[in-house]
Amino acid sequence: MENILSVLVFFPLVAAILGFLVGKKSIRVYGISVATIEFLLTLWLWFAFDNSNGGFQFIEYIPLVSEFGINYYLGVDGISLFIVIMAALMTLVGIIALNVKKDLKNMIITLLFLEVAMIGVFVSLDAIVFYLFWEFSLVPMLYIIGAWGGELRLYAAIKFFLYTFAGSLVMLVGMLYMAYVYHSVSGVWSFAITDWYALVLPLSIQKWLFWAFFLGFAIKVPMFPFHTWLPYAHGQAPTVGSVILAAVLLKMGSYGFVRFSLPMFPDASVAYITPVAIIAIIMIIYTAMVAYAQKDMKQVIAYSSISHMGVIVLGTFAMNAEGISGSIFQMLSHGIVSGALFLLVGVIYDRRHTKLMSEFGGLALVMPKYALIFGIMMMASVGLPLTIGFIGEYLSLAGFFKISPMLTLLAGTSIILGAIYMLSLYKRSFFGPVTNEANAKLPDLDSKELTALVPLVALVVWLGVYPKPVLGPIDNSVKALVTFMHEKAQTSEAKSVIVVSKRTKEAK
Amino acid sequence: MLQAVDISMASLNLITLSPMLVIVSGALLIMIIDLLKKDMDKSLFVMLSILVLFVDFGATLSLSINERGFFDLMLIDGISVLSQLLILLASMLFIPLALTQKRFHEYSYPEFFSLFLFMVAGFQFMVASDNLILIFVGLETASLALYTLIAMHNTPGSHEAAIKYFTMGAMAAGFFVMGSAAIYAVSGSVELFDVAKVLQQRMNEAGIVLPIIGGAVLLLVAIGFKVSLMPFHMWTPDVYEGASAPMAGYMSIVPKIAMMVVAVRVIGFYIDLGMESVRYMVIALAIVTMTLANIMALVQLDVKRMLAYSSISHAGFVMAALALDTTKAYSGIFLYYGLFLFTNLGAFAMLWISRHKKNRYHSRFHHPYEKFSGLISTSPMGAVIMAIFMLSLTGVPPFSLFWGKMYIISATVDAGYIWLAIIMALNSAIAAYYYLKLIVYMFLKPPVAGIEAVGVNSSRPLVVIVGIAAFVTTMSVFFMEPMLTYINYMVSVSGY
Repeated sequence: MENILSVLVFFPLVAAILGFLVGKKSIRVYGISVATIEFLLTLWLWFAFDNSNGGFQFIEYIPLVSEFGINYYLGVDGISLFIVIMAALMTLVGIIALNVKKDLKNMIITLLFLEVAMIGVFVSLDAIVFYLFWEFSLVPMLYIIGAWGGELRLYAAIKFFLYTFAGSLVMLVGMLYMAYVYHSVSGVWSFAITDWYALVLPLSIQKWLFWAFFLGFAIKVPMFPFHTWLPYAHGQAPTVGSVILAAVLLKMGSYGFVRFSLPMFPDASVAYITPVAIIAIIMIIYTAMVAYAQKDMKQVIAYSSISHMGVIVLGTFAMNAEGISGSIFQMLSHGIVSGALFLLVGVIYDRRHTKLMSEFGGLALVMPKYALIFGIMMMASVGLPLTIGFIGEYLSLAGFFKISPMLTLLAGTSIILGAIYMLSLYKRSFFGPVTNEANAKLPDLDSKELTALVPLVALVVWLGVYPKPVLGPIDNSVKALVTFMHEKAQTSEAKSVIVVSKRTKEAK
Repeated sequence: MLQAVDISMASLNLITLSPMLVIVSGALLIMIIDLLKKDMDKSLFVMLSILVLFVDFGATLSLSINERGFFDLMLIDGISVLSQLLILLASMLFIPLALTQKRFHEYSYPEFFSLFLFMVAGFQFMVASDNLILIFVGLETASLALYTLIAMHNTPGSHEAAIKYFTMGAMAAGFFVMGSAAIYAVSGSVELFDVAKVLQQRMNEAGIVLPIIGGAVLLLVAIGFKVSLMPFHMWTPDVYEGASAPMAGYMSIVPKIAMMVVAVRVIGFYIDLGMESVRYMVIALAIVTMTLANIMALVQLDVKRMLAYSSISHAGFVMAALALDTTKAYSGIFLYYGLFLFTNLGAFAMLWISRHKKNRYHSRFHHPYEKFSGLISTSPMGAVIMAIFMLSLTGVPPFSLFWGKMYIISATVDAGYIWLAIIMALNSAIAAYYYLKLIVYMFLKPPVAGIEAVGVNSSRPLVVIVGIAAFVTTMSVFFMEPMLTYINYMVSVSGY
């Protein structure tokens, strides 16, 4: 199946359109079936993927507007492969656990449209096609937050849309400028990312373009000080919205750094390591502190999300193989763990219609299964060894250690601070006696919730113990990327920073 | 003794006039029918108008490019053909909107349709000449017809709108004439290609720059009035509010395309002369227009007024391309208006579908935001289509205007005005807010109790027009390729 990527992108689209014709009663089954098929297709993609090849695979190329160099150009490598799989998995889990009563049909169709955009972003190799999916992903999310959200849903939805939209328009200008530079060098228009990779730019141009792309990605990640939309979006979004937002949509930004910023502007990226790292560290420490101060469970996880995204950014800008591999692995682990945590908060919200920690206490007595799963996910979030969270965080920080031990030390506080706020959340909600009468008779997880959560628990443990099947292909592509950046870099500073570490060189 | 003037038919090259001849005779035909037979249904006139426009479209398409005719008054170059095609396309989409469910005053007169055709002829003359006097005549023919068409809607608001538009239009016409006079004073000609030749030689003379700049300013003011650039936009929202929705939609497209072509010729001429100050004036006007219009649009209570300000802002956006003076930028203008035409006319047609005879929702406005509250539950299809138009106006891909925006911003970047490109991008982000506001009302707010269905004025022709507009807006990516090729070709053969 050569055109499996197109199938992956357009299958949910067709399914979403056909979904309008499906009866209201059967829509849940329809949604689960479609998402399952899509997930199986992504697994097939993994199966057919050549692990030893670090470059792009399953390439498809159809000219769209050849006058202007826009082509339908798809491909996948080790970096994007697992994010695609995770996007499909989290959509499936989200739909299984879906618990909205109102307009279930609209919700499922919207989720399928969102899946199209999410998969599309990660497999497109043409900047305009990338941008197309990138922007299109805003619309379903706007609807999900706005239609099923909490009290302030309209404000949150609009804020989410405007922030991202403004940032990405600046990024669009950057893309157009990049295409212009490419045109003036080579004489043809092209928006193909692989063509842009080949372009060696002078540092002065790189610096401008770096910031243009940075703004677009930083708002999406979201990096300090553009992070303020995220707590609102999470606070107001329905459970499934938060799951998808945290698990996949935020990754678009960090993926953008790896896919665009680093290989296209290696010198500028090296030159700006310090400011970016400082922003990332502020993000890690500041939001972790804010997370500790929250009263609402969901807000704690929302802020912890931002804090973890900081580690991902830091790992990416380590500019060496460990750091980047680690940050990509951390994207996956954060996707799974934070997705699961949001699902878990959703579970308790469905039962009690409140997320305030003060309302709970002693839940472990009433809901033991729930407490167990929450505990595992919490450990993974903190980054306990043998869980998925440890590997990514460790590699990211180890990668950045080569750049600056001091800053890494500061970033390392994220683990400590993370332990503080997560454990205090756990303590306040799950331990002690049952203080609130309303909690005394809460039912434990039902089969639907278990179906959604148990696979995630299994993944967290499996990949925590044995990450190689995933880390291997990622590492391959990342090494290819870093080697390429090393070749491309012009300044001696960049040459010395961008290195594939010794261990891996010997292995070669 | 006067010499006998010898004019051969060949030198007149009457074929260059054929599109206008077709449409003028069509207009006369409608008047004749009205004289001979009363009480004809409006559908007859609608269909006749479409047929005439269709023949006109064919005649325009068959013109050979880069010809002059009629004592060199007529200039058939690529952009004149292109803009005539756009004008005719918009007119063909506009006319069926007369076939509404409810009866409206203006459509009961056959004169409406013949005036409309005369107006189109006027616009065609405007774009098919580089003689300032013929441009002026075309402009006045079109404008006078347009004032009448607005007034024929026959509500107090429409009378006010027509008078306001008339006064402002008269003033703009005055500026245009004074600008032309200034040009004539320094060059002794009103034909831009002649003027350019004369001025090229006189550029070094002392004191010549002031009258040239003066002429440019006067002409820019006139253009600014017609294209509704800030600060000459004051009439726009009121006139759009007073006019019927399709008429407002039409006004946001066709007169602007026509005037934009004039602007291309006039400003292109100044920039070719090396008057950098004119370029900066245009850029300044463009920036002021898009930014302020966007801010004004944020606070509007009425969707129609919001769309009025939004179309001002779009005009500013396009105006920025005008200052760049590159082939790509000029192509961008036509691409943009070609796409804007469908989206904006579609949006106004949606307002028209929802139009009640009386104001039900607000003491002053026909289309306050509240009217569309919860449209998704009362009329899901309508809400989705309106949302598509709004998203397109916002510039969300894959909808049509994204491509236009992208192309113009790209042209701006290529010309080296990156700061301008960023201003344009940020303006698009500001604009997102007010388009989203309507989407939020339609999708996310509950319907207001006691309001009956919104699609009261709907009829099959209206639905077809909206359908066409929605189709083009959604599927634009698939015909971008031929469209761009054609536009690029037409613009580059004209020498721009």
